[in-house]
Amino acid sequence: MPEAIEIQLKKGVLALCVLALLERGDSYAYEIASHMAEAVDMGEGTVYPLMRRMQSDGLVETYMVESASGPSRKYYRLTDAGRASLASQKTEWDAFVRAVNGILEREAPPQAETGETA
Amino acid sequence: MTRVEFMGRLRRGLAGLPPAAQEEILADYDTHFADGAAEGRSEAEVAAALGDPGRLARELRLEAGLKRWEEARNPSSAAGAVMALVGLGAIDILILLPLLTGVVSAIAGLYVAVIAVFISGGGILVAGPFFDPPGGPLFPVLLGLGLMGASVTGAALLTIITIWLVNGLVWFGRLHYRLIKPAIQPEPDYSERGLS
Repeated sequence: MPEAIEIQLKKGVLALCVLALLERGDSYAYEIASHMAEAVDMGEGTVYPLMRRMQSDGLVETYMVESASGPSRKYYRLTDAGRASLASQKTEWDAFVRAVNGILEREAPPQAETGETA
Repeated sequence: MTRVEFMGRLRRGLAGLPPAAQEEILADYDTHFADGAAEGRSEAEVAAALGDPGRLARELRLEAGLKRWEEARNPSSAAGAVMALVGLGAIDILILLPLLTGVVSAIAGLYVAVIAVFISGGGILVAGPFFDPPGGPLFPVLLGLGLMGASVTGAALLTIITIWLVNGLVWFGRLHYRLIKPAIQPEPDYSERGLS
């Protein structure tokens, strides 16, 4: 079931991706959502439950920025705990990808691209 | 779906959350529509990209329920967290119900037993010395104190086990609830018609 694998994979790395995005710079929900929707085909609405969860877990914190046009905007930034979580999740992810690639490359002959992608 | 429709559904779905949290969530999604409009996207487009408001509300309520359980470990927050997980389909109620009924009644039975031991210990402690016991008047006093102490320990252990069980359930549910599934592939029973 490629579909199930895809969902499980994306679900697992969603928080990691958001942490990585925020490491590059503070951001607001709409921006995060558009990035994520574009990159991993995630529903934009899902970012809000995720941000609330990460906030209550202490991985991110919010602050308001006055805007020249319109109301002030809520920005998210990484906390120290968030940075630590990102570092450890990244290590795990790298090791996982390397392990999976190792297996795939050994098993599949050179003509890997057969058009049947998951 | 229009912005007003989406926000209405979301608001209805969030009923039961603390008003401050509701307002914050609604403001988040409202800003999302405003940002989308600023980028030239239509309301229907933004609503479709956001996903099903009913399902989003369930996810948000689940997060709130789990947070409450993490902050205050009491029976009502435990029930809230478990019900939120069940509501999201993260825990299959049909599989869980027989199991849960057994476990819950076993725990309730043990609590009753512990309370009974505590009361009888108290009874022996108070009444025992007046019945001329074989080991002297001090024996029932010590026995009663011992029983009461043991029952308090038992109750504490039971509480720890109960907390541990709910935590396990929450962990299991969190692992299984399909966070982004509806975003990738709308669920047929919840999805709205008219967006294609």
